[in-house]
Amino acid sequence: MTDRPAAQGIELTVTDVKQYIYCPRVVYFTYCMALIRPTTTKMELGKQSHACEEGLQKRRTLVKYQLIKGERRFNLRLRSERLGLSGMLDMAIFTRREAIPVEFKMSTKGPSLNHKYQLAAYAMLLEDELFIRGKPRVICQGSLKPRRYVRRGFIHYIPTRRVHEIEITPNMREYVKRILTDIREMVASESIPEATRRKNRCRDCEFARFCADIT
Amino acid sequence: MYFPTEEERKDLTRGLLPKSREMIVAEELRGWSWNTPPLEPIYDIKLALYEVANYYCPTARDLYMKRVMGINANPNPAMLFGRALHDLLAKLITEAKRAIYVEGVSRASEALEQMRRPDYSSLDNVSKHLTQEELEELKNRVAAVWRHQLNAIITQVDSALAKQPRIGVDSLVSLAIPVSVEQNLDGSFLGLSSHLSTDAYRFYETAILDIKFGEPKDFHRLTTAGYALAMESLYEYPINIGCVVYARFENGRLLVDKDYHLIDDELRQWFIEARDEKMRMVSEEIDPGMPDECYGDCPYIGHCSR
Repeated sequence: MTDRPAAQGIELTVTDVKQYIYCPRVVYFTYCMALIRPTTTKMELGKQSHACEEGLQKRRTLVKYQLIKGERRFNLRLRSERLGLSGMLDMAIFTRREAIPVEFKMSTKGPSLNHKYQLAAYAMLLEDELFIRGKPRVICQGSLKPRRYVRRGFIHYIPTRRVHEIEITPNMREYVKRILTDIREMVASESIPEATRRKNRCRDCEFARFCADIT
Repeated sequence: MYFPTEEERKDLTRGLLPKSREMIVAEELRGWSWNTPPLEPIYDIKLALYEVANYYCPTARDLYMKRVMGINANPNPAMLFGRALHDLLAKLITEAKRAIYVEGVSRASEALEQMRRPDYSSLDNVSKHLTQEELEELKNRVAAVWRHQLNAIITQVDSALAKQPRIGVDSLVSLAIPVSVEQNLDGSFLGLSSHLSTDAYRFYETAILDIKFGEPKDFHRLTTAGYALAMESLYEYPINIGCVVYARFENGRLLVDKDYHLIDDELRQWFIEARDEKMRMVSEEIDPGMPDECYGDCPYIGHCSR
């Protein structure tokens, strides 16, 4: 039986949303098993490339994002009490009209679902940070006061240097909220979920050796 | 009903069509990825599309009763009304096309005018299950739907004739009546029936249309999503737009509302989750339990009890 009050109080991160879509068991192992999370080479490489990309972004214009002017902020720590969610966004661009989340990815493929909903979760966090209790909290410097709603975001693929614009739709927001509920119920009930059916994802998974039933 | 009004056309060209072109749908959620998860069916059974998409019973116990318990309940009057009106629309569109092909371009308008008298043959299959009063009501509805749709076809044909002086008969049909009704699809790649048929499919913005003669429900969009996935699995081109056409009757008048929508990642995932959940229920014979509240017209109301 799900312990709902306990489930509601569970704080989650945006990475959990991403991981849950990739494979729900990763989130289960993170929260329900007392494990020390191993670090894989892929994760190390990801961290390094993110740091490198930040340096490059600072020198570049915003033409890739089809913007002329905007203020960039890197590694923004975001938290929403309402959603019980927190995360660190790679980059946000603030213009006079918009606040745009940008995620850097070390992948060569196009936008995948886990990246897409990760971006949507960041968009929701960014909105909550910008307007806490109806008052704007300007997390960017200067005279720019972005509007309340985040309408789009970008996923920047580092190896291919391609940028994909993703519209943040109402359905996406609902879907993120549903995932948060599902994760909380899973963690509160400590029930092990089905592993992903895409077995190639297990290859680089840091928890592969704990999934004894499938590997 | 199947043709967009001027406002709808404007809404489509300025709103939904540009959005659908820009919308990125995850490759794994396109119908042509049917051979990989999550689209690849887990169980070796086939479900009808309406069995996946219907959530009139919130726990889908009606499907359990039918597929696991083997109970075939009699359809309720609303279902019979819907069936008759669906058949009627398909018949009207087909007959209108036939009349144009047979009579040719020069006599097309005249041939359509001769179809003014409604065809009540779609009542034959359902009349024995209805009371006299219900049958009268259904006859009135048939007449209203027939008149409405035939007038729309005549307008479309006249417009095409007025615009294209050298139009051929095949071109006239495809320009004036750009829908294909009851298009059969093989949904087996997705674990669906091999004999699906869409209510209508409109060519010019590649939209799947589904007609409902009842109250709007959010899960109605699952039907268009399912057909879009099935079409993508067969023909390998993207289908991003769906439209649920709601026809209702008020004081003898036919009122039509249309719910145009994008067949986006979320809707696709919802459909796949519904399919998997229901396949598991049928395959593993899992009783989903009674819902908190049953819907009034449930045909299993006498069979399904606490």
